[in-house]
Amino acid sequence: MAEEIKTFKVTIDNITIDVAPGTTILNAARQIGGDVTPPAMCYYSKLEGSGGKCRSCLVEVAAGSTADPRPMPKLMASCRTTVMDGMVVKNMTSEKVVDARNGVVELLLINHPLDCPICDQAGECHLQDLGYDHGKAGTRYEFKRRTFEKEDIGPYIQLHMTRCILCYRCTYVADQITDKRVHGILDRGDHAEISTYISKAIDNDFSGNMIDVCPVGALTDKTFRFKNRVWFTKPVDANRHCENPKCCGKATLWLRGDEVYRVTARKDEWGEVQSYDGKAGWICNTCRFEKKETSDWTIEGLTTISRHSVIGANKYAVLDMPAETIKKVLHGRDPKLLMNIHNVSGVNNPNIQLSEINRPAHKADFVKSNEFTKGEGESTQWGLPKE
Amino acid sequence: MARKILLEKAHVEGIRTYEVYRREGGYRSVEKALKMAQADVVEEVKKSGLRGRGGAGFPTGLKWSFIAKPEGVPRHLVVNADESEPGTFKDRYLMEFIPHILIEGMIVSSYALGSNVSYIYIRGEYAWIVNILEQAITEARQNGFLGKNILGTGFDCEIYVHRGAGAYICGEETALIESLEGKRGNPRIKPPFPAVKGVWGRPTVVNNVETIAAVVPIINDGGDEYAKIGVGKSTGTKLMSACGNINKPGVYEIDMTISVEDFIYGDAYCGGIANGKKLKACIPGGSSVPILPANLLLTTAKGEKRLMNYESLSDGGFATGTMMGSGGFIVLDEDQCIVKHTYTLARFYRHESCGQCSPCREGTGWMEKILLNIENGKGKLSDIDLLWDIQGKIEGNTICPLGDAAAWPVAAAIRHFRDEFEWHVKNPVECLTSNYGLAHYADEIHVPVAV
Repeated sequence: MAEEIKTFKVTIDNITIDVAPGTTILNAARQIGGDVTPPAMCYYSKLEGSGGKCRSCLVEVAAGSTADPRPMPKLMASCRTTVMDGMVVKNMTSEKVVDARNGVVELLLINHPLDCPICDQAGECHLQDLGYDHGKAGTRYEFKRRTFEKEDIGPYIQLHMTRCILCYRCTYVADQITDKRVHGILDRGDHAEISTYISKAIDNDFSGNMIDVCPVGALTDKTFRFKNRVWFTKPVDANRHCENPKCCGKATLWLRGDEVYRVTARKDEWGEVQSYDGKAGWICNTCRFEKKETSDWTIEGLTTISRHSVIGANKYAVLDMPAETIKKVLHGRDPKLLMNIHNVSGVNNPNIQLSEINRPAHKADFVKSNEFTKGEGESTQWGLPKE
Repeated sequence: MARKILLEKAHVEGIRTYEVYRREGGYRSVEKALKMAQADVVEEVKKSGLRGRGGAGFPTGLKWSFIAKPEGVPRHLVVNADESEPGTFKDRYLMEFIPHILIEGMIVSSYALGSNVSYIYIRGEYAWIVNILEQAITEARQNGFLGKNILGTGFDCEIYVHRGAGAYICGEETALIESLEGKRGNPRIKPPFPAVKGVWGRPTVVNNVETIAAVVPIINDGGDEYAKIGVGKSTGTKLMSACGNINKPGVYEIDMTISVEDFIYGDAYCGGIANGKKLKACIPGGSSVPILPANLLLTTAKGEKRLMNYESLSDGGFATGTMMGSGGFIVLDEDQCIVKHTYTLARFYRHESCGQCSPCREGTGWMEKILLNIENGKGKLSDIDLLWDIQGKIEGNTICPLGDAAAWPVAAAIRHFRDEFEWHVKNPVECLTSNYGLAHYADEIHVPVAV
């Protein structure tokens, strides 16, 4: 009798790895890590049945398996395709994949409002990262974008449907984590929307986890909304003894000074909720929304955060400024700043590379000499240069 | 005139009732099949070479042999009567006039597959047909062809009619299964295929109405006899629902040896283009298959006559061919505007996309808006390339074939009628009142002579 095969050999972008049978291509790629990993907007390893919808994780299967080495005719959604022994997968090395992913990003963004400057998700938004990593600089979409009315779905969560990319993750949370789902997808096609049944409020102990799984700013924390930018707050790991047996009590507090601005579940490097003892570390609404004092929590230490996000990695700093455009508008004159913002706020000091600070930035990291000088000397009270 | 098999008795007075249907030789196949072994029935269908009539043309016998047979798990047969493809209305005709042939075919198929509970998933708009089918089922049960211990063979079978709620996407087999289970009709990700995990996680076969009806003559006359009709791998007869600018629109049963030209101009079939106009273009298999200009429709790129069958219609691939599809034959005469036509289809697919995967959800809406602009004389030449690019981003990148179905008509229209789109862009005022006409679309194709 043939020996029982315990692992499958799969080659992704020329890197070979042994994985357990039943592993999806995406999870195999995550075991390798780095650029080999396809992005995932709708797949969430902790939510059963998720994935396959956003099509951003498409990969080319160049050989199905050792037994049947034919290539698969279509690009496959790596999050829902399980590996076979001897499978050869092309991700970043396939032009077809790069092109298709480019298309997916463009299509996902045609109806997205791109209101990142006022969106609470900015800085930890997966769509922002996806757009930066796999999209093009411009869009060819010239029509009015689809919009929805903001909807009130309860005291804690703000639903902003305009930003939604319909990944269905929040419905899976409601199905699998909370007691009863009271929201879902209404209508179909490009007019489909997430909503509750006749504008009912979502009231459940674990509903807050929908905010954590939302890849974009469609579901945001009402207690944090417009309070602060993500990158100004300092994340620390903390725990508390929670009475709720389903709650793991382990969370990340987002602080500014000693003030707790926001509480979220702890995230792993893929932006998903961390697992403890094989169980996903969901937290209850009490921990998330009610315990906003440092005295409620035992702080373990600074969170090691991956600087993968567009803002965390300071990627915008290297973008080319559209100098010609401004010059054109000003009929050839050079743009002149009305006020030198670097004099006004130390945080905006361009000499300090945020990406080089290996922990959350703190006030002490910004050099004192950049604090604006009051009224005297070369500038006025508001930092305006004297005429 | 070709031989009719399915519609032979369609116009016998009172054929809708059990008495007349039985007198005309109905339910013979049930009596015959229930005496055979289940595997033999499947084998007979395999021999017949019957191909799925719902659009994809997958061999039915092969599909049946794929069904998983785990111990102690019920299996189901689901008949797809969610006929929502624009231009296709053959199943409606069949169910409305001879409902018993479907019931008869279902009993035989259920026996072959081992399904004790079978379903007809019918589109909600066919509200009156539901009553006709329910009546037929009741009559069949009263006469011992349904229910417990059919004809004393110990085989139990029940048939239920389930009404859809008006969604094109529920014609896709996995979306249909979701809908049948009472869920939102979103297509499932395959694998697992329905033959392994279908309705309520049980092995399921989903077949088109016409396919199941064709099982009746196959069992009556034998698979070999059925395979003699037609040509090559296109065996048996096919129902075509012809519509558009023709003299005699309607449902025709053809054997697949006649040419497209005969079908359009023949007196037994469409009877030529209405009002003495000229043929411009045609979609031979329902709205989602590629449109062809008159010259490529009547002859293949090799200069041969194109026949009405699976192989000949798809000769040349999508570059110069099309598909048999579900048999919704839509004919356009010289007065029709391809841009407007393509916009109409794009609007349909935008409305019917389930919104699950992003390329289809966002892409169909985008294409519709661009096509509306071109139609209204507000388009740019770059829009045509943009459309081509968007359809390429949708095709093949979605969960279910609706993405492909939305992309193909747009792709084919641009492939074959690009100059008409350009004319629309370059003559923004004129295109609102007049149209491009026949142009060169019926000209003879230059066939390069082999050296």
